[in-house]
Amino acid sequence: MEKLGVGIGWRPEIDLTVERLPGVDFVEVVAENLHVGHLPESVLLLRERGVPVLPHAVSLSLGGAEPVDARRVAHLGALAEALDAPLVSDHVCFVRAGGLDSGHLMPLPRTRDALDVLVANVKAAQQDLPVPLALENVAALLEWPDGELTEGQFLAELVDRTDCHLLVDVANLYANARNLGTDVARFLDEIPLERLAYVHVAGGEEHQGVYHDTHAHAVLPEVLDVLAQLRARVDPPGVLLERDDDYPADAELAAELAAIRAVLG
Amino acid sequence: MATQWTPTSAGSAGSAGSTPEPGWEEQGFLVGGPGRAAEVAVVALVEAGALRISREGLVSAVGRPRAGTSPLGTAVLRRLPMSLGDVIIATASSAEAQSLRHYLVGSGLVTPPGRRQGVRTARRLLIAAAVATVVATIVLELPFWLALGAVLVGVVGAIALGRAGRPLTSRGRDVVKRLKPLAVSPNRIALVACYGLLGKVERHHVWEVLGISPAAAATLRRRSRGSGSDGGASCGGGCGSCSSSSCGSGSSCGGSSCGGGSDSGGSSCGGGGCGGGGGD
Repeated sequence: MEKLGVGIGWRPEIDLTVERLPGVDFVEVVAENLHVGHLPESVLLLRERGVPVLPHAVSLSLGGAEPVDARRVAHLGALAEALDAPLVSDHVCFVRAGGLDSGHLMPLPRTRDALDVLVANVKAAQQDLPVPLALENVAALLEWPDGELTEGQFLAELVDRTDCHLLVDVANLYANARNLGTDVARFLDEIPLERLAYVHVAGGEEHQGVYHDTHAHAVLPEVLDVLAQLRARVDPPGVLLERDDDYPADAELAAELAAIRAVLG
Repeated sequence: MATQWTPTSAGSAGSAGSTPEPGWEEQGFLVGGPGRAAEVAVVALVEAGALRISREGLVSAVGRPRAGTSPLGTAVLRRLPMSLGDVIIATASSAEAQSLRHYLVGSGLVTPPGRRQGVRTARRLLIAAAVATVVATIVLELPFWLALGAVLVGVVGAIALGRAGRPLTSRGRDVVKRLKPLAVSPNRIALVACYGLLGKVERHHVWEVLGISPAAAATLRRRSRGSGSDGGASCGGGCGSCSSSSCGSGSSCGGSSCGGGSDSGGSSCGGGGCGGGGGD
């Protein structure tokens, strides 16, 4: 996988911050928030500087029972071409069913039937995408009953059957460990790290005994510990800091990036 | 929501007597009305690291929104995220901006709107009477000195009433006069207070001097001369209070400059008079 380095999620509110932060090797944009015809000046500027811009989708609903929306895939593909992106990504989840949108990245039942549906949808999307697809583990507040596979096994089999890449969100993994008892070490042992595209790091907070992956708080040291556990197994091609609200001062974001770099060594 | 204005300190020029020098927002209001005061509030928050303006002009709080250092600053933070132009307009028409206007009137820096209206009416009546006298002198073949006297009284009276009807009191004009020497590049907030974001200093727009992007500056709106009617505070003459209120009403325009004092027009601190202050 192409080496990406350390990056940050580009968001309109912090466009100038992202441009000015030292040592940003790559950025990620939320695909649904951009229009291919009129890309933000800041994003184009980053591209001119040679900074890779990776489209990250949140609405393909690849784990949904309904066929993948071809228009959403086409948009993602067009964006990848417009940005000359080396890959695109979305999540191992579903976000709509029966004509309703959940507004959340909903976890999938970890059954073989659900995996078959996911694999079919991923393959369909891959056929229409001009670049490789990476899929991300989500943070969940519940687990569906009658699971047949661990999350690591589920992802490993998904990669094996679709040849997709993995986008490992260590903050989601930490959240699942806190809320659902996911075994972090086992997860990292079970997933095919050689297919790792890059890693997400984000902040969150505990609220009434539940850890929320808010992307609006500072990155906890515990999340960086999970990153360190991953780093002990593999040198990730890229690590990206996600922040989606309550954007702190530039210096604070720079410090979070520095902390990530320190873990990577 | 603040219903009373808490004066802020500009920490600038020495005060006259024991009266504290008005804060930057208050000085901005005196020069360019509530829009200018809102611009000052936004820039002061940026300088304090409390908010950021994106390349596209989206203004957002840094971290979790907190209380501003002034009621107007709090009014700004309450509205975020919002485009730069919109947040200035919204803040300029806020209750906090109205409170600031009342505070400045109460402080004797801004002429009460009612008094200005009365003076304007008296001026119109005086001019009408002078014209009528001149016409009557011609039609009725009355003595010439009557017409001459009417013209003299009309002109002198109109000038005197024009001065009395200016938006700022003499103390207010003195504050504006003291601002201009402070409005130099290192003092970014004073620069905005004096010239406004769309104003120019040394052939550069103030927004450029502050490092605001062209796309963000494009969200700012100039106000046209003559819109509105309320009058209220205004930079001595350049129709400064074009915010939600007036620039154009009558005698106040074309009056004094940022330098205050004089009626003779001259360079306006607002960089071209009404609307020179951008979001004013």
